[in-house]
Amino acid sequence: MFAPAVAVAGLVKRYGEVEALRGIDLTVQPGERFALLGPNGAGKTTLFSILATLRTPTAGTARVLGRDVVTERDAVRRAMGIVFQEPAIEQRLSGRDNLLLMGLLYGLPSAAARKRADEILGSLGLAEAAGRPAKNLSGGQRRKLELARALVTDPQILFLDEATLGLDVDARRGFWTHVRTLAAAGRTVFFTTHYMEEAEVADRIALIDAGRIVALDTPRALKARLGGGVIRLQTDDDALARTWLAERGWAAEAGGTELMLVHADPAAVLPELLRHLPVKVRRAEVHEPSLDDVFLKLTGRGFASEGAAAPAGGGRGGPNGRGRP
Amino acid sequence: MMLRGIYAIVVLDMKRFWLDRARLVAGLAQPLLYLFVLGAGIGSSMGGSMGGGAYKPFIFPGVLGLSQLFTATFAAITIVFDRQIGFFKAVLVSPVPRPAIALGKIAAGALQAYLQGLVVLPFAWLAGVPFSFVSTVALLGAMALASVTFSALGVAVAARFTSTTVFPIVSNAVLLPMFFLSGALYPLKSPTTPHWMQVAAHLDPVAYAVDLMRGALLGPNYLFFSPWLSLPVLAGMITLLTWLAVRVFNRGEDDSSLGATNFNWRR
Repeated sequence: MFAPAVAVAGLVKRYGEVEALRGIDLTVQPGERFALLGPNGAGKTTLFSILATLRTPTAGTARVLGRDVVTERDAVRRAMGIVFQEPAIEQRLSGRDNLLLMGLLYGLPSAAARKRADEILGSLGLAEAAGRPAKNLSGGQRRKLELARALVTDPQILFLDEATLGLDVDARRGFWTHVRTLAAAGRTVFFTTHYMEEAEVADRIALIDAGRIVALDTPRALKARLGGGVIRLQTDDDALARTWLAERGWAAEAGGTELMLVHADPAAVLPELLRHLPVKVRRAEVHEPSLDDVFLKLTGRGFASEGAAAPAGGGRGGPNGRGRP
Repeated sequence: MMLRGIYAIVVLDMKRFWLDRARLVAGLAQPLLYLFVLGAGIGSSMGGSMGGGAYKPFIFPGVLGLSQLFTATFAAITIVFDRQIGFFKAVLVSPVPRPAIALGKIAAGALQAYLQGLVVLPFAWLAGVPFSFVSTVALLGAMALASVTFSALGVAVAARFTSTTVFPIVSNAVLLPMFFLSGALYPLKSPTTPHWMQVAAHLDPVAYAVDLMRGALLGPNYLFFSPWLSLPVLAGMITLLTWLAVRVFNRGEDDSSLGATNFNWRR
């Protein structure tokens, strides 16, 4: 019987008065692609840091590949690869030197570390860029180099913390092609993201808000939870529209510049709604529920609205790339 | 894992040092200024009152120590940058034990200080220092001890900072007093040297290191401390400073910043 890739039970982390995690329980199976989503300040980074052995929990336990992150820290460190949101390579040194150093840090002899570095650089299509100082590489290449760094020890579990933040669509796609290949080879991938189409890749998603998991399911099941379709409205006066809707028993969520409603048969009620709303409707849209809708419903905040790359106001179909079925 | 970790940190720092190898030449400016400008000016006004010898050869070991001290401290200061650049995050999630980071930084800083010393060394000839095979070998040994002492001192201090803006203050408040009190530029054992300065020198690691180098180069007549005192004192100081440095890094286990927080000094 294999140990779960990640097993977290009753995890609490306090920073002084602030309770960043208020009792997290979750289990990730080996080979799973698992996404951890939540607004900024929800506790994602704290949970991530604990799993990555960079912080110790106040209470509860966390195990990675069956090893306790506190008492068996070194075993966990040896078994995992991690890509941070911020760069964790020495920009002045070449990609090859960076990987060589990583190999040495994990105890490989120089020759083996050099060989391993070249293997990984080749497999990620970085062989030609490997001799240049990392700072001279493109954003996409640098991120791939981060992935390469995390892969030096051939880890069975990969942690990706907003690994593609700030990359353009092509570079993100390129990055995820490699991650999917790694996952297909049986590695567990545990990641956070602000990009909707990346979250859709996950086998399961945990939504975390204010230090608690508010939902944990497959993307399909999460979307089915809303029970029906979604109406999005852009009006001249969202606050008034919301009050008016609430008086008639409609719970509307305000997401950025629009309102979101859930209904069993949205197309049927939309004409009626438009006729009676006391405000001007500039835009109305009916669609199948997306993760963004689920997110908004459960946390009261838009999925990408706090992402660094999201445009102000969260325009539809913008570079935040909310995937639509 | 400890030794491999130290080795990895040393390789990292030496690779970065090699990118800045022009610093070895730029680093000559300060010691040569002391040696040939200050040395010429003060030396001529003193006449031959330096225990019988000329002034420039007398201060040469002191100037050598100065250059090693500043190189080692500069190397140690990279810890502060390391906290800011991400690479150390990758080090922190690797199985390398925290003390290996401190020991690796000390080893790399000592190596750089030693290299800088070797670059300064040929100028001894221009300063009129008499050389022999034995004195050269003794000096190379004393330089190694000085390099490790200065590097351990630098890391023990630098590890407590998270900002480089305080470095000039540290430099003026810690390094220069230690240099001036060390007897690098004047004879500590001269009867006219104030007694309190002789006492202060006993607490100054730079004084022991410079004294040892001077004795090695110019002969036992120039020693202020007996080598039987300076050798164990330097060994003890290296041990103490290394322990202080390791302590800071060990504490970094839960705050992922290698132990230091903001500008606060830590116990």
